[in-house]
Amino acid sequence: MKLGIVGKGGVGKTTLSALFAQEYARRGLRVLAIDTDSNPNLAHSLGLNSEQADDIPLLPRSVVVGTGGDGAMTPAELISTYGAVTPSSVTLLHAMRITQAGAG
Amino acid sequence: MRSILGAAIDQEADVTLVDMEAGLEHLSRSGGTLAYADVLLVIMEPSRKSILTAGRTIVLAEELGIPRVYGVGNKAQEGDKEFFEEVCAEYNVPLAGIVPANADVVEADRRGELLALGEGQPVRDAVVSIVDFVDHALVGIIGAH
Repeated sequence: MKLGIVGKGGVGKTTLSALFAQEYARRGLRVLAIDTDSNPNLAHSLGLNSEQADDIPLLPRSVVVGTGGDGAMTPAELISTYGAVTPSSVTLLHAMRITQAGAG
Repeated sequence: MRSILGAAIDQEADVTLVDMEAGLEHLSRSGGTLAYADVLLVIMEPSRKSILTAGRTIVLAEELGIPRVYGVGNKAQEGDKEFFEEVCAEYNVPLAGIVPANADVVEADRRGELLALGEGQPVRDAVVSIVDFVDHALVGIIGAH
Protein backbone atom coordinates (compact mmCIF):
# COMPACT_ATOMS: atom_id res chain seq x y z
CA MET A 1 0.00 0.00 0.00
CA LYS A 2 1.41 3.34 -1.04
CA LEU A 3 0.43 6.37 0.99
CA GLY A 4 1.26 9.92 -0.05
CA ILE A 5 1.31 12.77 2.46
CA VAL A 6 0.87 16.17 0.81
CA GLY A 7 0.04 19.72 1.79
CA LYS A 8 1.32 23.25 1.97
CA GLY A 9 4.68 23.81 3.64
CA GLY A 10 4.38 24.08 7.40
CA VAL A 11 1.08 22.25 7.85
CA GLY A 12 2.79 19.37 9.66
CA LYS A 13 3.38 16.83 6.89
CA THR A 14 6.63 15.55 8.37
CA THR A 15 5.28 15.30 11.90
CA LEU A 16 2.24 13.37 10.77
CA SER A 17 4.28 11.22 8.38
CA ALA A 18 6.47 10.12 11.30
CA LEU A 19 3.45 9.38 13.47
CA PHE A 20 1.62 7.44 10.75
CA ALA A 21 4.77 5.45 9.93
CA GLN A 22 5.32 4.58 13.59
CA GLU A 23 1.70 3.56 14.02
CA TYR A 24 1.87 1.19 11.04
CA ALA A 25 5.13 -0.25 12.41
CA ARG A 26 3.50 -0.70 15.83
CA ARG A 27 0.85 -2.76 14.07
CA GLY A 28 3.55 -5.12 12.87
CA LEU A 29 3.70 -3.94 9.26
CA ARG A 30 6.90 -3.44 7.28
CA VAL A 31 7.07 0.31 6.72
CA LEU A 32 9.18 2.19 4.22
CA ALA A 33 9.15 5.98 4.67
CA ILE A 34 10.46 8.19 1.87
CA ASP A 35 11.38 11.79 2.65
CA THR A 36 11.38 13.84 -0.55
CA ASP A 37 11.80 17.22 1.07
CA SER A 38 14.84 19.22 0.03
CA ASN A 39 15.54 19.79 3.70
CA PRO A 40 14.82 16.33 5.08
CA ASN A 41 13.56 16.27 8.64
CA LEU A 42 11.70 13.02 8.80
CA ALA A 43 14.84 11.30 10.12
CA HIS A 44 14.71 13.37 13.29
CA SER A 45 11.03 12.75 13.88
CA LEU A 46 11.76 9.03 13.50
CA GLY A 47 14.47 9.20 16.16
CA LEU A 48 17.76 9.51 14.26
CA ASN A 49 20.28 12.14 15.29
CA SER A 50 21.79 14.60 12.82
CA GLU A 51 24.88 12.49 12.23
CA GLN A 52 22.82 9.39 11.48
CA ALA A 53 20.52 11.44 9.25
CA ASP A 54 23.45 12.84 7.29
CA ASP A 55 24.81 9.34 6.77
CA ILE A 56 21.74 8.21 4.85
CA PRO A 57 22.73 8.01 1.19
CA LEU A 58 20.64 10.03 -1.18
CA LEU A 59 18.30 8.01 -3.34
CA PRO A 60 18.73 9.20 -6.93
CA ARG A 61 15.78 11.27 -8.01
CA SER A 62 15.54 9.23 -11.18
CA VAL A 63 14.74 6.18 -9.09
CA VAL A 64 11.91 7.99 -7.38
CA VAL A 65 10.22 9.49 -10.40
CA GLY A 66 11.25 6.74 -12.80
CA THR A 67 12.60 8.99 -15.51
CA GLY A 68 16.03 7.52 -16.04
CA GLY A 69 19.02 5.85 -14.49
CA ASP A 70 19.96 2.22 -14.86
CA GLY A 71 17.46 -0.45 -14.06
CA ALA A 72 19.94 -2.82 -12.52
CA MET A 73 18.71 -2.61 -8.92
CA THR A 74 15.66 -4.35 -7.60
CA PRO A 75 13.55 -2.64 -4.94
CA ALA A 76 15.12 -4.95 -2.34
CA GLU A 77 18.60 -3.88 -3.43
CA LEU A 78 17.60 -0.22 -3.42
CA ILE A 79 16.26 -0.50 0.11
CA SER A 80 19.34 -2.30 1.42
CA THR A 81 21.64 0.19 -0.33
CA TYR A 82 19.86 3.44 0.48
CA GLY A 83 17.65 2.65 3.45
CA ALA A 84 18.28 3.45 7.11
CA VAL A 85 16.47 1.51 9.81
CA THR A 86 15.11 3.83 12.49
CA PRO A 87 14.40 2.96 16.16
CA SER A 88 10.72 2.20 15.54
CA SER A 89 11.78 -0.25 12.76
CA VAL A 90 10.56 2.09 10.02
CA THR A 91 13.05 2.06 7.13
CA LEU A 92 13.81 5.55 5.87
CA LEU A 93 14.89 6.64 2.39
CA HIS A 94 16.07 10.14 1.51
CA ALA A 95 15.08 11.27 -1.95
CA MET A 96 15.50 14.97 -2.30
CA ARG A 97 15.85 16.66 -5.66
CA ILE A 98 19.23 16.11 -7.29
CA THR A 99 19.48 19.81 -8.10
CA GLN A 100 19.12 20.59 -4.43
CA ALA A 101 21.28 17.81 -3.06
CA GLY A 102 24.12 19.31 -1.15
CA ALA A 103 22.53 22.74 -1.17
CA GLY A 104 21.51 22.37 2.43
CA MET B 1 13.45 2.37 -15.33
CA ARG B 2 10.26 2.30 -13.38
CA SER B 3 9.78 4.46 -10.33
CA ILE B 4 10.63 2.84 -7.03
CA LEU B 5 7.00 3.51 -6.22
CA GLY B 6 5.83 1.10 -8.88
CA ALA B 7 4.23 -2.21 -8.06
CA ALA B 8 7.41 -4.04 -7.02
CA ILE B 9 7.91 -2.01 -3.86
CA ASP B 10 4.83 -3.64 -2.37
CA GLN B 11 6.81 -6.89 -2.17
CA GLU B 12 9.32 -5.22 0.12
CA ALA B 13 7.08 -3.08 2.29
CA ASP B 14 3.52 -3.41 3.51
CA VAL B 15 3.26 0.36 3.71
CA THR B 16 5.32 2.80 1.65
CA LEU B 17 4.75 6.28 2.97
CA VAL B 18 5.96 9.30 1.00
CA ASP B 19 6.41 12.59 2.84
CA MET B 20 6.12 14.92 -0.15
CA GLU B 21 7.95 18.15 -0.55
CA ALA B 22 5.77 21.23 -0.79
CA GLY B 23 4.75 21.96 -4.36
CA LEU B 24 2.55 20.22 -6.84
CA GLU B 25 4.96 18.95 -9.50
CA HIS B 26 5.01 15.52 -7.90
CA LEU B 27 1.42 15.22 -9.05
CA SER B 28 2.27 15.78 -12.70
CA ARG B 29 1.02 13.28 -15.25
CA SER B 30 4.48 12.44 -16.55
CA GLY B 31 6.21 10.44 -13.91
CA GLY B 32 4.90 12.32 -10.94
CA THR B 33 6.09 10.72 -7.74
CA LEU B 34 2.59 10.19 -6.49
CA ALA B 35 1.04 8.78 -9.64
CA TYR B 36 1.32 5.37 -7.96
CA ALA B 37 -0.27 6.29 -4.64
CA ASP B 38 -3.15 4.14 -3.41
CA VAL B 39 -4.09 6.77 -0.87
CA LEU B 40 -3.35 10.47 -0.68
CA LEU B 41 -3.72 12.28 2.63
CA VAL B 42 -4.02 16.01 2.05
CA ILE B 43 -2.90 17.73 5.24
CA MET B 44 -4.51 21.06 6.10
CA GLU B 45 -4.26 23.46 8.99
CA PRO B 46 -6.77 26.11 9.96
CA SER B 47 -5.48 28.66 7.45
CA ARG B 48 -6.95 29.84 4.16
CA LYS B 49 -3.62 29.38 2.36
CA SER B 50 -3.32 25.73 3.35
CA ILE B 51 -6.92 25.18 2.27
CA LEU B 52 -6.32 26.73 -1.16
CA THR B 53 -3.25 24.51 -1.66
CA ALA B 54 -5.32 21.51 -0.59
CA GLY B 55 -7.98 22.37 -3.15
CA ARG B 56 -5.49 22.56 -6.01
CA THR B 57 -3.86 19.32 -4.86
CA ILE B 58 -7.17 17.50 -4.73
CA VAL B 59 -8.05 18.55 -8.29
CA LEU B 60 -4.67 17.29 -9.58
CA ALA B 61 -4.93 14.05 -7.61
CA GLU B 62 -8.33 13.33 -9.10
CA GLU B 63 -7.05 14.08 -12.61
CA LEU B 64 -4.22 11.61 -11.98
CA GLY B 65 -6.73 9.00 -10.96
CA ILE B 66 -5.46 8.45 -7.42
CA PRO B 67 -8.25 6.26 -6.10
CA ARG B 68 -8.54 7.51 -2.52
CA VAL B 69 -7.97 11.15 -1.63
CA TYR B 70 -8.75 12.19 1.93
CA GLY B 71 -8.43 15.39 3.91
CA VAL B 72 -6.73 15.59 7.31
CA GLY B 73 -7.12 18.62 9.56
CA ASN B 74 -4.01 19.34 11.61
CA LYS B 75 -3.23 21.79 14.43
CA ALA B 76 -6.91 22.00 15.26
CA GLN B 77 -8.12 24.27 18.01
CA GLU B 78 -11.56 24.21 19.51
CA GLY B 79 -14.12 24.98 16.84
CA ASP B 80 -11.92 23.96 13.91
CA LYS B 81 -13.75 20.66 13.45
CA GLU B 82 -16.60 22.41 11.66
CA PHE B 83 -14.12 24.38 9.58
CA PHE B 84 -12.39 21.23 8.30
CA GLU B 85 -15.71 19.47 7.76
CA GLU B 86 -16.98 22.35 5.64
CA VAL B 87 -13.79 22.51 3.58
CA CYS B 88 -13.85 18.77 2.85
CA ALA B 89 -17.54 18.94 1.96
CA GLU B 90 -16.77 21.80 -0.42
CA TYR B 91 -13.93 19.82 -2.05
CA ASN B 92 -15.99 16.64 -2.02
CA VAL B 93 -13.39 14.51 -0.23
CA PRO B 94 -13.89 12.50 2.96
CA LEU B 95 -12.31 13.91 6.12
CA ALA B 96 -10.08 11.12 7.45
CA GLY B 97 -9.63 12.80 10.81
CA ILE B 98 -8.62 15.83 12.80
CA VAL B 99 -5.38 16.13 14.79
CA PRO B 100 -5.41 18.61 17.67
CA ALA B 101 -2.81 21.30 18.15
CA ASN B 102 -0.53 20.01 20.87
CA ALA B 103 2.39 21.28 22.92
CA ASP B 104 4.19 17.89 22.96
CA VAL B 105 4.46 17.94 19.18
CA VAL B 106 5.63 21.55 19.11
CA GLU B 107 8.31 20.74 21.67
CA ALA B 108 9.54 17.62 19.85
CA ASP B 109 9.71 19.64 16.62
CA ARG B 110 11.62 22.41 18.35
CA ARG B 111 14.18 19.93 19.66
CA GLY B 112 14.28 17.87 16.46
CA GLU B 113 13.59 14.76 18.47
CA LEU B 114 11.74 11.49 18.09
CA LEU B 115 8.02 11.94 18.26
CA ALA B 116 7.18 9.32 20.85
CA LEU B 117 3.65 9.77 22.11
CA GLY B 118 2.20 7.53 24.78
CA GLU B 119 -1.19 5.89 24.75
CA GLY B 120 -3.98 8.29 25.43
CA GLN B 121 -2.01 11.24 24.14
CA PRO B 122 -4.54 13.19 22.05
CA VAL B 123 -2.37 13.48 18.93
CA ARG B 124 -1.57 9.78 19.04
CA ASP B 125 -5.25 8.93 19.44
CA ALA B 126 -6.03 11.02 16.38
CA VAL B 127 -3.29 9.30 14.38
CA VAL B 128 -4.56 5.85 15.39
CA SER B 129 -8.04 6.87 14.32
CA ILE B 130 -6.84 8.12 10.93
CA VAL B 131 -4.84 4.93 10.32
CA ASP B 132 -7.99 2.97 11.16
CA PHE B 133 -9.93 5.10 8.70
CA VAL B 134 -7.41 4.37 5.93
CA ASP B 135 -7.41 0.65 6.84
CA HIS B 136 -11.15 0.45 6.49
CA ALA B 137 -10.94 2.14 3.09
CA LEU B 138 -8.29 -0.37 2.03
CA VAL B 139 -9.72 -3.68 3.12
CA GLY B 140 -8.05 -6.34 1.03
CA ILE B 141 -5.05 -4.22 0.06
CA ILE B 142 -3.09 -3.62 3.22
CA GLY B 143 -3.86 -7.10 4.52
CA ALA B 144 -2.50 -8.76 1.40
CA HIS B 145 0.95 -9.60 2.64
